[in-house]
Amino acid sequence: MILESISTILLILGAFFSLTGAIGLFRFPDFFTRVHAASVTDSIATILIIFGLILRTDFDLVTVKLLLILVFLLFTSPTASHALAKSARHGGLLTLPEIRATKKEDCSS
Amino acid sequence: MTTKSGKKTVYFASWILALAAFWLLLSGYLKPLLLCFGVASVALVVLLLRHMDNIDKQPQKLPLSFAFFRYSSWLMGQIVLSSIEVTKLIWGNSKNLSPAIEKLPVTSSTGRKRVLYANSITLTPGTLSVDVDDDHVTIHALNEKSLDVLRAGKMAKKIATVPVAKN
Repeated sequence: MILESISTILLILGAFFSLTGAIGLFRFPDFFTRVHAASVTDSIATILIIFGLILRTDFDLVTVKLLLILVFLLFTSPTASHALAKSARHGGLLTLPEIRATKKEDCSS
Repeated sequence: MTTKSGKKTVYFASWILALAAFWLLLSGYLKPLLLCFGVASVALVVLLLRHMDNIDKQPQKLPLSFAFFRYSSWLMGQIVLSSIEVTKLIWGNSKNLSPAIEKLPVTSSTGRKRVLYANSITLTPGTLSVDVDDDHVTIHALNEKSLDVLRAGKMAKKIATVPVAKN
């Protein structure tokens, strides 16, 4: 009973952080800041939801599988974010401060 | 020579044990036929591992150590703290954003520690490693403040205590 209520709290918190990530994805101004918003969903929402699910298992093989899923997600999702950001950077996408700096240069010249 | 072969035995034995445990935990079946398949797949993977080690001369030790777990739990705490920061930014006024990008030097020499560092940076919301080369990591941050935290180098120091195989 206690475990179930803790698990409910964790799942609701996880859902809240997922939603936060999604909203950030819309609200943030450029590509790089949006990746940050998505990483909220990647990291804390994943951790909370998987721990919430673990508390609902009978602590058997399913628990182990959920833990492994968590480990793999925590290794792969930063790699994906890094790959996205790196290719954007190498493709010549500028970050907000850099855009501001170039605009200032244009105005002064 | 004997110590070298002894080390190799320990190395392969640890891999065999880990792979067998992995297989058992994932399948959970104890029927003889399926156990045979499990043994066969473990043997195949270990054979491949030996073959690959002969080719690239970089034996991969199992990254299991107490320090690594301690570091992971510290990182979890960091993730929670910085997630709350980013959540505040998302729900708050978007004018509070002060994105910044900077190239920070990395002191850790081994490739794997750099990977762990860059991965940890990306994993904590609010900071994102954009580019990694031999002695720098380019970091994009949502807030000037989180760059200062990284510059203070607490995470780098923590990583330095994690024993990672050298190569």
